[in-house]
Amino acid sequence: MSQTAVIVEKKETMSQQAIEKTEKPNSLWKRNSSWLIQTAIIIAPFILFGIFLTFYNVNPIELYRSMVATTFGSLYGFGEVLLKATPFVLTGLAAALPAKAGLVNVGGEGQLAIGALFATWFAVFYLDSMPAVIGIPIMLLAGALGGAAWASVVALLKVRGRLNETITSVLLNYVAVFIVGFFVHGMLKDPNSFNWPFSPEIAYSLRLPVINGTRLHIGFVIAIILAVVVWYVLAKTRLGYRIRVLGSNRLAAERAGMSINKMYFWVLLAAGALAGIAGMIEIAGIEGRLRTTVGTNFGYLGFLAAMMAWNHPLRLMATAFLLGMISVAGNKLEIFSGLPSSSVNILMALVLFFILGSGKLVKR
Amino acid sequence: MENNKERYLLKTQGLTKVFGSLVANREIDLTVRPGSIHAILGENGAGKSTLMKMLYGVYAPDGGSILMNGEDVELHPPTKARAKGIGMVFQDFRVVPALTILDNIALSVEKGFTFNRKKLKQRIIEVSTKYGLEVNPDAYVWELDLGQRQRLEIVKVLLAEHTKIIIFDEPTSVLVPQEVEAFLNMLHMLRADGYGILLITHKINEVLACADDVSVLRSGELTYRASKEEGLTAEQLISAMMGNKQLKSVEKASKVNEKSQVALQINNGTIKGDYGEFILQELNLQVKKGQIVGVAGISGSGQKELAEVLFGLRGLQNGTISVAGKQLKHDVKAFLAAGVSFVSEDPIKESVIPGFTILQHMVLDGMELKHKGLGIDWKAIAQELEQSKEAKSLALADSDRRADTLSGGNIQRMVLTRALIRKPEVLIISYPSRGLDIGTTRTIQQQLIELAQQGTAIVLFSEDLDELFKLSDEIVVLAGKRITKPYVTTSTNTTQIGQLMLKGESA
Amino acid sequence: MIADILTGAIRSGTSVMLASQGELVSERAGVINLGTEGSMLCGALGGFAVTVWSGNPWLGTLAGGICGLLISLIHAFLVLSCGANQLATGLTIMFFGMGVTAFFGKGFVSQQIVGFNPVPIPLLADIPYLGKILFNHDPLTYLSILLVPVLWYVIFRTRLGVILRAAGEREDVLFASGINPKLVRYLAVLTGGFLAGIGGVQLAVAYTHSWVENMVAGRGVVAVALVIFASWKPIKAMIGAYLFGAAQALQLTVQQQGMAISPYFLFMVPYVLTLVALLIVERRKQSQTPEALGKVLAGSG
Repeated sequence: MSQTAVIVEKKETMSQQAIEKTEKPNSLWKRNSSWLIQTAIIIAPFILFGIFLTFYNVNPIELYRSMVATTFGSLYGFGEVLLKATPFVLTGLAAALPAKAGLVNVGGEGQLAIGALFATWFAVFYLDSMPAVIGIPIMLLAGALGGAAWASVVALLKVRGRLNETITSVLLNYVAVFIVGFFVHGMLKDPNSFNWPFSPEIAYSLRLPVINGTRLHIGFVIAIILAVVVWYVLAKTRLGYRIRVLGSNRLAAERAGMSINKMYFWVLLAAGALAGIAGMIEIAGIEGRLRTTVGTNFGYLGFLAAMMAWNHPLRLMATAFLLGMISVAGNKLEIFSGLPSSSVNILMALVLFFILGSGKLVKR
Repeated sequence: MENNKERYLLKTQGLTKVFGSLVANREIDLTVRPGSIHAILGENGAGKSTLMKMLYGVYAPDGGSILMNGEDVELHPPTKARAKGIGMVFQDFRVVPALTILDNIALSVEKGFTFNRKKLKQRIIEVSTKYGLEVNPDAYVWELDLGQRQRLEIVKVLLAEHTKIIIFDEPTSVLVPQEVEAFLNMLHMLRADGYGILLITHKINEVLACADDVSVLRSGELTYRASKEEGLTAEQLISAMMGNKQLKSVEKASKVNEKSQVALQINNGTIKGDYGEFILQELNLQVKKGQIVGVAGISGSGQKELAEVLFGLRGLQNGTISVAGKQLKHDVKAFLAAGVSFVSEDPIKESVIPGFTILQHMVLDGMELKHKGLGIDWKAIAQELEQSKEAKSLALADSDRRADTLSGGNIQRMVLTRALIRKPEVLIISYPSRGLDIGTTRTIQQQLIELAQQGTAIVLFSEDLDELFKLSDEIVVLAGKRITKPYVTTSTNTTQIGQLMLKGESA
Repeated sequence: MIADILTGAIRSGTSVMLASQGELVSERAGVINLGTEGSMLCGALGGFAVTVWSGNPWLGTLAGGICGLLISLIHAFLVLSCGANQLATGLTIMFFGMGVTAFFGKGFVSQQIVGFNPVPIPLLADIPYLGKILFNHDPLTYLSILLVPVLWYVIFRTRLGVILRAAGEREDVLFASGINPKLVRYLAVLTGGFLAGIGGVQLAVAYTHSWVENMVAGRGVVAVALVIFASWKPIKAMIGAYLFGAAQALQLTVQQQGMAISPYFLFMVPYVLTLVALLIVERRKQSQTPEALGKVLAGSG
């Protein structure tokens, strides 16, 4: 009864708002072209960087070729890339998960360091004589605990102090490095080290098992499992749904009765735990001892990987792999041309510039 | 010798504006004489603001021409219109709240990188006193109420160089009946000083009170043109505005009586704002089952905060709030569980989630988020939605459409469907028909009445007194940081309510 | 000892202060630039390098400012013309700056320069106690102090300042007045980058006379935090910067005196202090945030 009246009236009048905000259906062409654009975006910085390299008498094509060859040419090479990519996946998750909730967490750097600190502490003081089957999981938990604890500072400052998490997490990264420095010069100093600032080596039994023929340890498997878990939670579960609502429209989340502060807190802690695990993996998988330089830049690179993957946990694995390839290429660059390996940071930043700059082209 | 009638400040011929397939303005002929008030009358959506935007240079016309001083002029972009002496007082004021009045005026009136503060202050005081528009140049705009902000806008326009034509866009919508009188007086003063005034409005009584010329728009076309000398009557204006279609009027039959249960109650509440300031005190409100209580008030009198308290989004400083007899704490979840639903005044900002489909919105404080194992059972939810009668009667759009692509009307339908589908005990709804066309508005109003008949208690916030009177059983007014006692709709009128909005009950 | 700390506070805080003043301008227009760290680094290296090549620290100062400006141009372009997220872009620029300066700076690490030295102002420098603290600084520090009242006047007393603030509060109002808010923001960000670059130069050419990889060590981020702490007011930003400088000077003094406090603990103090300052101020400053900036910090920019 009232329905017919509605239809009649709809045809006769159109509000100004309806005029100026015409409804847009989703277009098939738009979705396909966005793939093309996205690929172009990834390739362009490589070209730019390649041009840059030619000024330094480095043949970029040769470099890229060898980069691909190393990665896919031998098991060892492939393993190296995965090795480098592993912490990126975890620190990437540490940035991507909070991003889905609307937070910008750049504290992966510090959270990894404190996670490494906790892991080493446990390893050196408590787990020295434990068998791997018990010791490694405990170390893992210790690392997660450390990262979560450090992230809780950011979380509390955000929830109680209403401080922006980006600024606080970056500042805390610097503090974290100093804390690690404090410990390796103090309680965690290796007594046999002639005053070099690093911790005693952890027990062999606590080192992560390695795949034969490579340096690749099972940390890589841990990272993949965690990435899949995070993806599943976000995409399929009710908790993930709520997190995504919060990240997309905080006001709507409030009005749906969600406890915003609680969610922010626990998401940040989870992120910290992930980065902390990365720290543990660095110690137990590669370094074997704690140094002040543990995981330098891994946090930022993870953040980069997350941004490149549009914060999607599964795509993150691909972008982390890509960054891993570039990172390994950096080492090669240094060996063959004398350019510092940190030059590849420039390439990575270029990639991100393109991605950031294309925001308008690729509608999300 | 030119007849005074033939002198004009601005004249349009065949002015047309098209948006895609919609003709917003079709062949409009309009003349603005110096020293006159020309009213543009029409319902919401008739094309008035499009016409004004063309005259102010926001839009460029697609057809027709505009003449000033015998020459064809181009008024797009607004800087050109301003240079030609056209000033506009907007409905949504173009001011920067964080700056002072002086700085705001300096921004639009002065040129260059520096300005003489003392001189500008003097000019402001001169103009404002002359037309009865007192403003304090050193006050910050965020401190001002809407009436004062409007005065600032007018002073701004008057101080701009060579302003000859002033366009007012629905100026009295922010004023209370008593302030309107002062405003119309000011218009007369401006007219006496030779300004050509264009008054956009949908209020017929104002047109009759002060207009020298009237142009009526309906569905983008000029349906009627007359001047005061020729005689203006309300009946002619109404029929020109509305045409001959019979709009289904909304019927109201209230079942509420003394014996009805109380659904929602606030006792002696105090509400504080975000900066610790007092918003409302000695707050007492009671809503019975099946009753619609309308809340009136000048914008900014605490409506937003009160609505938030009624939904649990904001806490009371003192006092208690109870739903169905049970006292509730400041917790949205508790209110939701008690059967309270909330439709926000700005759904685009507060309810729409970018990237999510309509279906995905429904489960937020609406439908149940069914789960299948660890995951979410979207299929079952979609089925339930399709079968619901609320979605049908509100003509909800396809549930897999993305909500951020919807028009204002469809968003409102979505939010309302969501609120109604859980069969709420209490519904808090703010400005439901703001910016919507007549069709959607009628549908929504009808739904609200039916909802009340089924027993839901409704608190309706609206700035449209007509809407409040049409739908509410009782009206309360927020004014002077207090709430008035309820006034039964059938025993009061808009003038009394207007008085209360301005002065509160203490007057 | 106190006198040393106070003197050091000013000298050490100048680089942060310059960056803060610049970032203040940018944020007033509604753009937050975490890439300030990158601008400072590039400014430091650029300034140092040009001073090495030309022997003229003033030329180096100009060069450093320009380097900082160029870096901030990337930020402005990505944020304003491409619509990128402000925080993410700033961080990328920071990382980029770190990478670029590490790369190009390798050759400058052990170079020496004739940089700026403290220039005592005649007569004033002889005032007991105060003279040494206030009037015995390098030219860049003097310039930075002079900058503060100038900036205050421009922002609060001129129409240029009104335009700047309107861009950060309600850009549509600015647009309605016939001024392009994007252009204003571009210029604001570039100004910020230029000043941050000069801040970097002060660090490498006046405060120290050397280049070390990543020598800015977070001062750029601190500068951004300080702007918020200062409620976007130039004088307060100056005080904040000097407080940071004092914390750093304290660390140096403590080390010189041989006190038994771990150096790492002292290194932390300036950063922790910044966080504490932010906390204290957060309570009352909500209403003073430029509107456009508020949206960015709340997470929708």
